[in-house]
Amino acid sequence: MTQIFENPVKQPLLPSSWLIQKDATASYYEVPADGLEEIILVLKALESRLVWLFCTEPATEGSRLWYVFERGETPEFLVLVLKAENPVSIATFYPVASRFERVITDGFGIRFSDSLDNRRLLLHERYPDGFHPVKKSFQNTSLQSVDSWAPYEFQLMGGTSVYQVPVGPVHAGIIEPGHFRFSVIGETILNLEIRLGYLHRGIEKLAEGHVPAFCVAVAESISGDESVSNACCYVMAVERIASTQVPGRAVCLRLLLLELERSYSLLSDLAGMVTDIAFSASASRFLIIREELQRLCERLTGSRFLKGMIIIGGISHDIPDELLREAKDVAIKAVSDLDTVLTWTMTIPSVIDRFATTGVVREPLIDQLSLSGPVARASGSSLDVRISHPYGGYEQYSPVLAQKNNGDVLARFLLKGEEVLSSLKYIIALIPEIPAGQVHTHVDINDGYALSAVESPRGRTLFWVHIQNGQIERYAVSTASFCNWMALEHAVMGNIVPDFPVINKSLNLSYAGTDL
Amino acid sequence: MNIISSFFKKPVCRAQFASDPVFETSGLLLKKEIDRVFGKSIAIREVDCGSDSAAEIELSNLSAPHYDVERFGISFVASPRHADILAVTGVVTHAMKEALIKTYEATPEPKFVIAIGDDACAGGIFLGTYAVIGPVESVIPVDMKIPGNPPTPATIIAGLLTLMRSAKKR
Repeated sequence: MTQIFENPVKQPLLPSSWLIQKDATASYYEVPADGLEEIILVLKALESRLVWLFCTEPATEGSRLWYVFERGETPEFLVLVLKAENPVSIATFYPVASRFERVITDGFGIRFSDSLDNRRLLLHERYPDGFHPVKKSFQNTSLQSVDSWAPYEFQLMGGTSVYQVPVGPVHAGIIEPGHFRFSVIGETILNLEIRLGYLHRGIEKLAEGHVPAFCVAVAESISGDESVSNACCYVMAVERIASTQVPGRAVCLRLLLLELERSYSLLSDLAGMVTDIAFSASASRFLIIREELQRLCERLTGSRFLKGMIIIGGISHDIPDELLREAKDVAIKAVSDLDTVLTWTMTIPSVIDRFATTGVVREPLIDQLSLSGPVARASGSSLDVRISHPYGGYEQYSPVLAQKNNGDVLARFLLKGEEVLSSLKYIIALIPEIPAGQVHTHVDINDGYALSAVESPRGRTLFWVHIQNGQIERYAVSTASFCNWMALEHAVMGNIVPDFPVINKSLNLSYAGTDL
Repeated sequence: MNIISSFFKKPVCRAQFASDPVFETSGLLLKKEIDRVFGKSIAIREVDCGSDSAAEIELSNLSAPHYDVERFGISFVASPRHADILAVTGVVTHAMKEALIKTYEATPEPKFVIAIGDDACAGGIFLGTYAVIGPVESVIPVDMKIPGNPPTPATIIAGLLTLMRSAKKR
């Protein structure tokens, strides 16, 4: 072991002969199958986090597994590439791996030995047994679903007086579908099992075989209120493969759109949290600010969800300077309004009473479950892709890190409030700095692959794009929501069922962004 | 401040935003039509069958202060058993087909189904892929399609107005 890791601080962690690609975001090492466990033990000792695990099926050789790690403050990701022959589960080292492994088993039929959970994750019972959609041998056409199936087995909690509360997939509110299975004693939640996959639309397979320009729309449709983040993450991967520099004005306008999206998106979380404790006077005020921002989005881009703006090589059309000045005025007003509402809301005793100590996400869960975004930062983490892995202009215009320590609903409410304020202030400071010039440059599509990371309103988004013969060969997606859902299962334990809505809203995760 | 002095205090009231005259006009027309067809109010149950959640956000926005459609007699209800209208969003996935059919069957007659968004109306980019069945009308009958990616609150209200105008009193 000492030969491999002579000096973990100064020297590369792995022998340079294993290095297969190195770019601005990641170093890729081809690792022999029997060497994985040894390396993982050292990585874990160095407090590296497993952030993603995905699979590819190259045409000429066997399937590969790609383990993506984040190491402390190092800006580049470490990717270990393994042949997928009789793989062993690493869920005992990194519990989050269990769900990544289940997605790979769904998609490719690759089974991991010593796996903690062998149930399908995203493919429901209507899909036939042995159906693995991401395999190259499967042509993406309509599928005949099966009519009879064995019911899905939920975890059963034993003991007298434990009863189950099934919720969903169609919920009471206007939200996305998902199933929550509570095991309850009295009013206290003993266990929650979340079952998603109802919105599985085959996003990854859909992109395959298409030209890169088409797939911007695919990335945008992953999650409606994160369309800019997802589109940016995708085009940045394509631009990195093509080694293209995006013009300065386009970089700044993308930053503007990213922060605008973060603001309106997190404002609906704030409104949702106070709605769920029946404080509609405060919710209305948040919603008024949010609607003004969405109307601004429409004036700037033609879409209230900023769709269709991001294209490969820049943005689709310029935003005139007078509109930018107007955007600045709207942001200044929003800052002052939001500040007033937040301060006032925090003076109401019943708000503090419902929010404080409710739904705690404990700090040790962050690395175990690979949590990110506001959920992690409200529990004492300083993870923010914009700061730890700066991209697309954040190197130059760095945002302010927001952080809270208690990990309860109150911490998430305060943190999200701060983040909206700091995003709006970021916009105000950015607009006068936006340079004149082109907003779009021609991109010659190259073959190759790249990893791309973006901080979406909900946290870390990772895409891996592989282009071959000018077409998308593989488009692998990991959203923050996928990992953060597990935080909800832990946060509700010991809380009462009536507090579930506010805890759920304080995380406000994307169902569509998880089910893909 | 005692209770008597609060009687004499001037009420604090200031407009938070300017109302949109076009939206207000179509909203009042819609109210008239709802009064005619359904007698004062309609109840809408929303079902997401494969949307990216943008359409859900716009539907919730209808209840936000700028729009506040409850003024016009439109309310969103928690159960299909209370609903007159099902608002279905997204391209129908295999996993949501059964839930959609059950929700439809649980909605009492007379009922309308509106498909909201490009994917719900026509399937969008997902049409013909393995994970989806197709647009909403391939699973349950649809009375009205409101396209858009997603349709704006004003478009949804205009769509409802068209639906109500075409509906006979049942």
